[in-house]
Formats: sequence, structure tokens, C-alpha cells
Amino acid sequence: MRGWAGMALVLAGMASVSACSPIEPWVKPYEREHLADPIMSFNPDPVSSTYLDHVFESREGSRGATGGVGGGCGCN
Amino acid sequence: MNCASRLLCLSVLTLLPALGSATEPLPTGAPAPDFALNNLAGKSVSLGDYKGQIVLMNFWGSYCGPCRKEFPILDQISHQYHGKGVTLVGINVEHDSAAAVDWLKETPVSFPILLDVDSKVSKLYRVEGMPNTVILDRKGNVRYVHRSYHAGVENEYIDQIRALMRE
Repeated sequence: MRGWAGMALVLAGMASVSACSPIEPWVKPYEREHLADPIMSFNPDPVSSTYLDHVFESREGSRGATGGVGGGCGCN
Repeated sequence: MNCASRLLCLSVLTLLPALGSATEPLPTGAPAPDFALNNLAGKSVSLGDYKGQIVLMNFWGSYCGPCRKEFPILDQISHQYHGKGVTLVGINVEHDSAAAVDWLKETPVSFPILLDVDSKVSKLYRVEGMPNTVILDRKGNVRYVHRSYHAGVENEYIDQIRALMRE
């Protein structure tokens, strides 16, 4: 009984780790020409986004989860 | 079956999906897959046309910052080794070539540009990072694969081209 319980625990642990394998299908770097278009950027004007985020934070009374800088060039 | 062997069996079975990957680069030393693409003038060019030369294939897109940064440097390398048995080939991976053609008008290069409009060759060469550079030797075998560009990588290209020239 104890042996099977331990085995079940180990199996559950390994099943959770197996999600670390690369997700397929994933967008290839040569398929990103539309994603890299400036109009697709999440944050077109960082100054106005910072201001609007601040207004949002003060009205909500909480902050976070607004997404940061990043995005890159769609190359890698 | 004892505890340890059961554990080993389970770990192999669970982690097996993580081991297979279609994103491994082309094996070094194996012949480069042949292909035929149109160049900017619309004429069909195949990889076999360059047999006997050292070929540096660069997969690029006009939307990709590091690709654009690398291009003038590749042009310099092309001028430097022109006529010495080294050919550079730029393979544009965009589905719509208009942006690439426009960009090339501003930044012309002296080496041939081929258009991989349906991504057939990108898949064949397992392009994973961009820009992707593949260097082939005179027999047409893949010798070096670079999956990104950062400043200073051009020196590696030159060292590798020189090593292949000495063969």
C-alpha cells in the first residue's frame, strides 16, 4: 500500500514536469512578419501608457498585471 | 520489479515527449538539402548551381532588426571574398516580398537574394532563430550553423570561411 502511494506521488510529480517540453506548434521566426509590424505592438506610446496605467492604478486602488516592456523584434 | 527500476521506467516514459524536438539544427557534415528558389529577377536558382564553392546562406527578413544590422556586414564579407570561391546567398523568408524589395533598394547588396515565399526552404533547413546562417563547404555539406546574430559573430563567419578555404 505504501509502495503504491509513493509511486503515485512520483508519477504526479513527473507528469507536472513533462509540460516543460517545447510547446508545438509554435510560431516560427520566419512566420512573424505580421507580428513584427509596429501596429501590432502592445504598447505603442510608452509615455501615455505609463500615465494611463497610473490613472488606472489610482482608481482601482491596486496595481500590477499591466504588462511591462519587451516584445522584441519577432526574431527568436 | 523493484522500486528503482519502476522509477526509472516511469521517468523515461513521462519525460520522453520532451526529448523529441523538430528544432534541432541540421547535422554537421551531412549534405545540405537541395532546393530551387526564384531570385529577385524571377529566375530560378538552385543550390546545386553553387557546388564547388563555399556557400554562406543567410535566412533573413526585413522585419527583423538583427538581420538588417547584419546585412551591410555580409555585404562587406561578400566583397572581401568575391572571386575566391566563396559565395554568399541571402534567402528572404517573407511571404510578401514587397517589403524586402523596398528595403533592398535602400540597402543594396552585391550577393544574390532568393525569395522563400512559402517557407519551404526555411522548414527544410530547420530555421529556428533569425537571422540564421548556414555555411556549406565545397562539397555541399553543412559545416556551421548560426542561429542568431549579435555583434562580433561576423568574425566567426570569417574564421570559419577561412578554415573551409584551407581545406
